[in-house]
Amino acid sequence: MESTAKKRRCSFNKDWETTYHWVKPVQGDSQRVFCEVCQSSFSVSHGAPERSGREFGSRKPRREEGEPRTEKMPLDQDWTAVYPAATPFRAGSVPLPVRMGYPMKGGVPPEKKGNLELIKIPNFLHLTPAAIKKHCEALKPFCTEWPSALDTDAKCDEHFPIKVECTDYVSSGLSVRNPSARIVQLKVKLSILNLDDHARKKMLKLVGERYCKDTDVLTITTDSCPLRQQNYDYAQYLLTVLYHESWKTEAWEAEKTVADMEEYSWEGSPSQKNIMDMLLRMKVAGEGEGEEVQEQLLARSEVQEYKDSVTRLKNEGDNESSVLQYKEAVKKVFNL
Amino acid sequence: SQSSEKHLGQFYTLPSAHFRPLFPHGLPYRYQQQVKTFNEACFMVRPPALEVISYLKKADYSKPALRYLFYGVKGSGKTMSLCHAVHFCYTQGWVVLHIPDAHLWVKNCKELLPSSYNSARFDQPLQATTWLRNFRTTNEHLLSQIKTKRRYVWTKRESTDEGRPLGELVNQGISRVKSSSDVVGALMKDLRLQSSQPGADFRLVVAVDGVNALWGRSTIKKENKSVDLEELTLIHNLKKLMKNDWTGGAIITTLSQTGSLYTPKSAYLPQELLGETGFDSMDPFIPVSVPNYSEKEFESAYLYYLDRKWLQHPQSRTEDGKKELSFLSSKNPSMLDRICGFL
Repeated sequence: MESTAKKRRCSFNKDWETTYHWVKPVQGDSQRVFCEVCQSSFSVSHGAPERSGREFGSRKPRREEGEPRTEKMPLDQDWTAVYPAATPFRAGSVPLPVRMGYPMKGGVPPEKKGNLELIKIPNFLHLTPAAIKKHCEALKPFCTEWPSALDTDAKCDEHFPIKVECTDYVSSGLSVRNPSARIVQLKVKLSILNLDDHARKKMLKLVGERYCKDTDVLTITTDSCPLRQQNYDYAQYLLTVLYHESWKTEAWEAEKTVADMEEYSWEGSPSQKNIMDMLLRMKVAGEGEGEEVQEQLLARSEVQEYKDSVTRLKNEGDNESSVLQYKEAVKKVFNL
Repeated sequence: SQSSEKHLGQFYTLPSAHFRPLFPHGLPYRYQQQVKTFNEACFMVRPPALEVISYLKKADYSKPALRYLFYGVKGSGKTMSLCHAVHFCYTQGWVVLHIPDAHLWVKNCKELLPSSYNSARFDQPLQATTWLRNFRTTNEHLLSQIKTKRRYVWTKRESTDEGRPLGELVNQGISRVKSSSDVVGALMKDLRLQSSQPGADFRLVVAVDGVNALWGRSTIKKENKSVDLEELTLIHNLKKLMKNDWTGGAIITTLSQTGSLYTPKSAYLPQELLGETGFDSMDPFIPVSVPNYSEKEFESAYLYYLDRKWLQHPQSRTEDGKKELSFLSSKNPSMLDRICGFL
């Protein structure tokens, strides 16, 4: 029925229904037909439907999707069998009513079926406690027993004060080597090391961020060398060098200014000068200049209290209680 | 004023004869509007102000000037407490040196002249003249009695001799705008020296709002270079006043985060806003905390608004409405004021 020399537009022909069983007429528009396979309509004003070759039996009818696996999952199933390795999220395999995504106006986060957000992110469904247990069981034949004498943390710290941590990586790929395996982390508590006051302050300044004040642990992480052996040696070397250097006193350390001090020390500070000045002017200790007057003033309990409160304010920073303490101390000094 | 412990939480009205001269500047803007609306100026008697007033009563004025610092969260009533204390001093006949907001002197300066007195420093004529005018209004009656102690030379032809009333000095500053900042400095120095004299018949109260501006940073730029605070005459002289090397008076200050530059919004404690240098300069001072309203004070403020028919909404008169107001404003005075403004 095709004709290249047609001069008029085609319209729906009843015979097409028998020839192509997927064709149905469209109401109201004789120039279009409806295709049941792809559930859409297209125009036939330029000729018979078979022009659109894609319809012509090349498409298999879409089959029904079955019910998802979640319906058939028993409650006491072995989850490690569902997700044995790291795989992207499969909505049909995870029996949880998870929702993820931005809730549009008046709506809720979209459901898990066909949710790209859930597929994009990494999931740890393959690392449930049961799975971890299985991994441990599998690794046990390759491990040795933990020594029974080291049953508490304190004992471990006492006998093995320096802890070295390295990680091994297993993967299946073209190469077994993993560059992250060279990282070595060395942890040691500073209380174990024999450091005096100056050495401790210098050590803290040298290491900077690597020291944690809450747990008193110095962590040295080395990854500059290509091999783990080299990194381990380097970390040990760093620890030795830090220890020895912090004991030495250099000539330029004498130039330490007030801004470098770790803690606030009241002696010689502007605060001390101020209060001394004030007390002298108030002529509290009686007439006379000189050292004894100063010492007399210093020995007074109000001045000691004032000194404590200022030191606390400066070291701790501001908070309500330290400011109140300061206020009480100042009031006492002025006898209010 | 008869403020005492008994009157805690109650309002006392300022006589209008006092209000006009005492507060040409210095009150929070919203409060000024409230005064205009209600046609009366009412202060609530609150513990921080009472505390400072009691210290002022007890203090020995032959000793160096004591420094008080009001601190608290935003809108808790620091400026109002300061004004209350200043009013007390005014009723006692003291000379009031009230700087409404030190932050105004370190930012938005339209004119900056090199100082005539010291070429390294900069003058701010506009701010100085406005302040001198207000100072004159406040201390009108005392200015004619106090005499200058030294001779001040302004230009080749003008000078103020020793023994002239201070009022003349102030007028000089207002008329000759160019030397107004130097006049301010001279005034401060004179008052400071005079009140320290044992025979002085007046006391000086220095009230500075937003004192943390003196040790912060400034946004004034001179030829695209930010001006250091030390180079501003007004700030330099004010810092000299803050030192407690003079006697016969008191220094009452407040901290203010609202106008301050380069400070985080949550900072309200003394050390945070004053900084290291500020704290060392103000040390030793008495920090007075100004908290939000207590239950009783909140009740009192609520009843005051009801009494003045400020709360129009019918629901605001119920118990529930009161609880709602208390919760919404979390008993913060300025928040309460703003919320009630809508009702």
